[in-house]
Amino acid sequence: MTEKPVPNLFEGAPNAVSRRNFIKGVITSGVAVSSAGYLFRASTLLHGQQVPTGVGERLLTLNVNGQQRRVDVMKQETLAWTLRYKLGLTGTKLGCDRAECGSCTVLIDGIPHYSCSVLTHTVRGRKVQTIEGLANADGTLHPVQQGIIDEQGFQCAFCMSGFIMTAVGYLKTNPNPSRREMAQGVSGCLCRCQDYDKILTALMRGAENMRGAKLG
Amino acid sequence: MAVIRDVMPAFDLYQPGSIADAQKLLAQHGSDAWVLAGGLDSFDWLKDRIKKPKAVVDLSGIEELRGVRTTTDGIEIGAMTTLTDVVNHPVIKQKYDLLAQAAEVVASPQIRNQGTIGGNVSQDTRCWYYRGGWPCYRAGGNICYADTPEGRNREHAILHADRCVAVNPSDTAPALIALDAKFLLSTSKGERVVDAEDYFIGPDIDITRLHILQPGDLLTAIRISSTWAGAQFYFEKIRDRNVWDFPLMNVASAMVTSGDNIDHIRIAVNGAAARPLRLKAVEDAVRGKPRNAATGEMAGKLAVQGAIPLQFNAYKIPLMRNLVKRSIGGVEEATWTS
Amino acid sequence: MSETAKPAERQYGAGYKLIGKNYPTPDLYAKVTGQAKYAEDFRADGMLFCKLLLSPMPHARVRHIDAKAALAMPGVKAILTANDLPAPADTLTDNGTVIKASKWGERGLTNEPVYQGEPILAVAAVDELTAAEAIEKIEIDFEPLPFVIDPLDTLRPGGPNPRTDGNIWTRPAAPGSQGPGTPVVTELKWTHADFAEEKHGRLPMGKAPDEWTYGDLDSGFKNAALVLDETFVTPDTSHQTLEPRSAMAYWQNGKVYIHTGTQSTAQTLPAIARWLNISPDNVVFISEYTGGGFGSKITGGVSMIIAALLAKKTNTPVMMRISREEETFIGRARPGFQGRMKVGFGKDGRITALDMFVICDNGPYDAVGDAPSSGRIVSLLYQPQAMRWRGLTVLTNTPPRSAQSSPGGLQGIVIMEPIIAKAGRRLGLDQVAIRRVNCPEGKAPFGPPVQGKRQYATSAFLKEALDRGAEQFKWNERVARTPKRIGTKVRGVGVSLSCYVGGTIGFDGLLVIRPDGRVTFQSGIGNLGTESVIDVHRAGAEVLGVPWEKCEVVWGNTTKNLPFTCVSGGSQTTHAMTRAAYATAMDAKKKLQEIAAKKLGGKPEQYEVANERVFRKGGGAGMSLAQAAKYAIQLGGIYDGHEAPADVHKLTKASVASLAGQGLVAAAKDNYPRDGSTFSYVASFAEIEVDLETGKYDIVDFLASGDVGTVIHPRALGGQMLGRSTLGIGHAIGQKWVFDPHYGQMVSVRFYQSKPPTILDVPVDMQWTALDIPDPETPVGARGVGEPPVAGGCGAILNALSDALGDEVFQRAPVNADTILTSLEAGRPRQHPLMAHI
Repeated sequence: MTEKPVPNLFEGAPNAVSRRNFIKGVITSGVAVSSAGYLFRASTLLHGQQVPTGVGERLLTLNVNGQQRRVDVMKQETLAWTLRYKLGLTGTKLGCDRAECGSCTVLIDGIPHYSCSVLTHTVRGRKVQTIEGLANADGTLHPVQQGIIDEQGFQCAFCMSGFIMTAVGYLKTNPNPSRREMAQGVSGCLCRCQDYDKILTALMRGAENMRGAKLG
Repeated sequence: MAVIRDVMPAFDLYQPGSIADAQKLLAQHGSDAWVLAGGLDSFDWLKDRIKKPKAVVDLSGIEELRGVRTTTDGIEIGAMTTLTDVVNHPVIKQKYDLLAQAAEVVASPQIRNQGTIGGNVSQDTRCWYYRGGWPCYRAGGNICYADTPEGRNREHAILHADRCVAVNPSDTAPALIALDAKFLLSTSKGERVVDAEDYFIGPDIDITRLHILQPGDLLTAIRISSTWAGAQFYFEKIRDRNVWDFPLMNVASAMVTSGDNIDHIRIAVNGAAARPLRLKAVEDAVRGKPRNAATGEMAGKLAVQGAIPLQFNAYKIPLMRNLVKRSIGGVEEATWTS
Repeated sequence: MSETAKPAERQYGAGYKLIGKNYPTPDLYAKVTGQAKYAEDFRADGMLFCKLLLSPMPHARVRHIDAKAALAMPGVKAILTANDLPAPADTLTDNGTVIKASKWGERGLTNEPVYQGEPILAVAAVDELTAAEAIEKIEIDFEPLPFVIDPLDTLRPGGPNPRTDGNIWTRPAAPGSQGPGTPVVTELKWTHADFAEEKHGRLPMGKAPDEWTYGDLDSGFKNAALVLDETFVTPDTSHQTLEPRSAMAYWQNGKVYIHTGTQSTAQTLPAIARWLNISPDNVVFISEYTGGGFGSKITGGVSMIIAALLAKKTNTPVMMRISREEETFIGRARPGFQGRMKVGFGKDGRITALDMFVICDNGPYDAVGDAPSSGRIVSLLYQPQAMRWRGLTVLTNTPPRSAQSSPGGLQGIVIMEPIIAKAGRRLGLDQVAIRRVNCPEGKAPFGPPVQGKRQYATSAFLKEALDRGAEQFKWNERVARTPKRIGTKVRGVGVSLSCYVGGTIGFDGLLVIRPDGRVTFQSGIGNLGTESVIDVHRAGAEVLGVPWEKCEVVWGNTTKNLPFTCVSGGSQTTHAMTRAAYATAMDAKKKLQEIAAKKLGGKPEQYEVANERVFRKGGGAGMSLAQAAKYAIQLGGIYDGHEAPADVHKLTKASVASLAGQGLVAAAKDNYPRDGSTFSYVASFAEIEVDLETGKYDIVDFLASGDVGTVIHPRALGGQMLGRSTLGIGHAIGQKWVFDPHYGQMVSVRFYQSKPPTILDVPVDMQWTALDIPDPETPVGARGVGEPPVAGGCGAILNALSDALGDEVFQRAPVNADTILTSLEAGRPRQHPLMAHI
């Protein structure tokens, strides 16, 4: 057996753009120290050092779950990362970080988006809703959440907040879906426990709860 | 230098509010700039750290790139219009349903809520070697890994391969070609209008890109004239999974008949080559013929003439033949008694 | 295909208050509100972040690492390489046996990567971006070594070896013992003559180190009305739990605190201690919520020690977020099989002889048990009159395997089922009938004779499950329905049998009746979504007659006084831990009776426990459980945990001691007898519709009918029945690995390439049912259910496909449009019959 040639695949793609070179940016660093800014280059690390523009964070005000949240955000930061690591909203999960599992789904202006694939800088002035913002302040669950309790929907539940947010967004466009339509509506969410049947039953119950709540 | 396929590298983010500003930024940054539409294709490249642009120009804030407008002769779809908005637009549904059908089977609902029509037609190939960062022809190297004796090429090209055997993965592209859409480009030399089919290029023209956009160019809108409004349409996409999958192959046709006969027709397929293929020879052959199974058979056979299978993609030849056949002769709906 | 609401749920648990009833599990509220914290949701002050450098090569030796530039970056705190790992620890078993650490074992980081994607080193930095950039600044010099992607390639004469000292796992008998010993890596090459079969598309069958036989194979074949000899290849499939195996660790006062996902809370602690080579007393393990396991996180994953060791090195908490691509490489997978079976059938379809040969693609590390397990499961499920099993567990330079729901069972059954389907057609037998005639029944035997006697199952009611399923699925109507084809669409129906191990014995339970009358169940089971962590304790509450509202289950943290618990893998938990829960509740009951007798006079047996009271039978004096708990504390000793039963595990004893004085403490070991080995069984039914022009097919309907013992929690059971069925269905409809064998690189790294099933790939209305017949060999009668439905899901789809398309379309799974179309076009199977990972 002769050794197979191993290509030098791993030295970086040939046409990769050259290493980052911090030039003047349109959005420049605000370098306001964030208590939780430790995911990306930490503000604390750069504090007191000469900060190249483009590296640091910029203070944004985001509307999350009805609250104005001030937060330092890197330019390349995704909404999922801001929510989880800067705002502590860890109910939004990162299952793939590549727009192909749906666990990070949140509502932006009422529409389901993969928050792993949205730059936080693009949601200024828009309303972001996460799983933590779904129940009433008094703890009363959203009817879709209640539907899951009613039907013991989901297993490990890592995909659950994504499914719930997707279903809530979908039900705005179709409040009385058939099972098939509901499946289509939440089809951008992957469940690896493959509990699809029970999930659908639970979400259908949630839709029913919603209609009931409206009537009531 | 070791490789890590995680964590998006830092870049400068520019969020212009107008096409003109975007154009200026692109001119300023030249090949260091990366244009961000919906981002679904872009973020893969960035998070895998295969592409590390210095400047990212985000088009999402440009209102004039968004929305569907009716014009004197049809419609104009802003390049940044989401696929969901394309699917739900009443005029598109009513007159150009072919496009709605195609857009509706792209990826997943969340991706359609964010992915744009401009991004969908401009996306890069999904060849797993190229996307994995292998230094192939398309990445500037001098080999096609998919077209080697042991290459895994189930999803690759059967037509018009030239060194590279990657295919174009767009679902809306063939629909737009069948609708004879025009693509509006904003370039440093001014505005340019090209036929949909001319927007796409194969490796023989440029092995590193699937479309004609040069650095600094922007696709701003897609126009569909009323020529094919309300025609008879056929769209079908074959994929492994019923959601979240690129086409193994798709077909789109627009047809006008009088009586049984085909008066006018346009057909395109994607997933067969590096560009969506308009099947002009098929169109010419079936024009004037009755719209029936026999014409479909003939069209299907003609469509795959010259197709060359690789080791794992021979199925694409009957698939393309049958899809083209159906796009003309239709397919019987199966209604089961129980 | 119906758009109507699902039929009314079947009622289970007749005669019980809690068992067999639906209820919302107590972990649900935190889950639906996003408050449930999984490992990566934790943050600690000053926490560092680590990133991994993965091997780009399938097999290589690290010659030199230059990390100077990386370490010089501001914010980079430490690097961890294989040289920093503790020496591999030996294992001391509970009975005092020392199992020497394997020199081929996996250690978390390595200087000789044996698969692409194996972690070489880790860097800790103040944030992820810095850590990622630091990884990119590291220069590594690798010496490429020969590698193997397809198991057949290493068996060829002169073929490369995946490990420097061999290519197969063998289990030489331990000196003086009957059973197999510790597995060792040895070298095996077949001859050119052995490979002659390959060019006919049949699996070559050279020397196989593992073999057993029972019955008279030759006469079995001689007497057969039909003999089929078929080769089949099953896919390698990643577990791909939605939660990657991220881990966070820190050290405090000499103890390591680790947060990560696991299937088995109590049993992960000793694994961590072994991997870190420290005392279990110095490990605190926290895992309240785990984002899926399926066998890939039975005791967590060895990679978690990277975070722990970096935390030690930096004296700072370290978070290791595992990316999806990293999970694809390190996250475990089911081994694919290349298998061949020669099967003899009588006229009535009875299997007279079965000659089974399997090659299991083990990956580079520890020996998986799939190959031997496949033989035992097939022998039980189809009860062949005579059988030989031969198997090889072959190492390759592909990502590490582990058990995945129905390990070996899926592969064996999926190789077998299409053969039964074909035999049914050849013999003119109905597909349900040919399976019925081969069904295991009662104390059905399985496997080879051990000391002259074959082992047997505790029970099997698979025939009843098959009949129930056939009726509910309207099998006969579907089979009789015409036409089968309309236009380009053809429909096909398929049925498959399935079974797997369904329980172990001998573990402990622990509960406390508090002075306020509430009952706390201590649960050492992992919370991976099956809900057995909670469900099994319903059996205890049922025995005690305590309303569920007054019960609390404590789980997810090894400081919370957990009992010795089985690992949650191989569907053992529901069986093992309902037994332990039952034993513990009986212990509590006995103590309550004794306390009552002591306080109120009479003999313990004159008292009964019900309605939150212990009282004299037939009315009269009694006391509440709250009062009894207070008395228990007064009495001390065995009553409040100051003494523990002698036979419980040391882990349970330690927990009992910590709980002492808090109420009536009940602890017990499951000492109930069991005659036979426990299995659960499923009959699965599917209808599919194929488009002959595109090769695309969809599943129209699906039903899983289970013989899984007493139903404990119907909705959770339904989730397992259909969820695990769908995991199996994934093997039929698309999930797989694709490798470029020339470069040894996986190209199916992403979900859109490896294709786990989506919600639209299964019917919108799937059905399940369960017999609810108690297993006679266990109190409560409950058996496990996680594994048994898996193979049935896959088998039913494959059989429905061949019903629609004929026998000459596919010889491997998954089956996709490409396979179908190419075969239909050619009029014969055209796919590469033996090649792995295409």
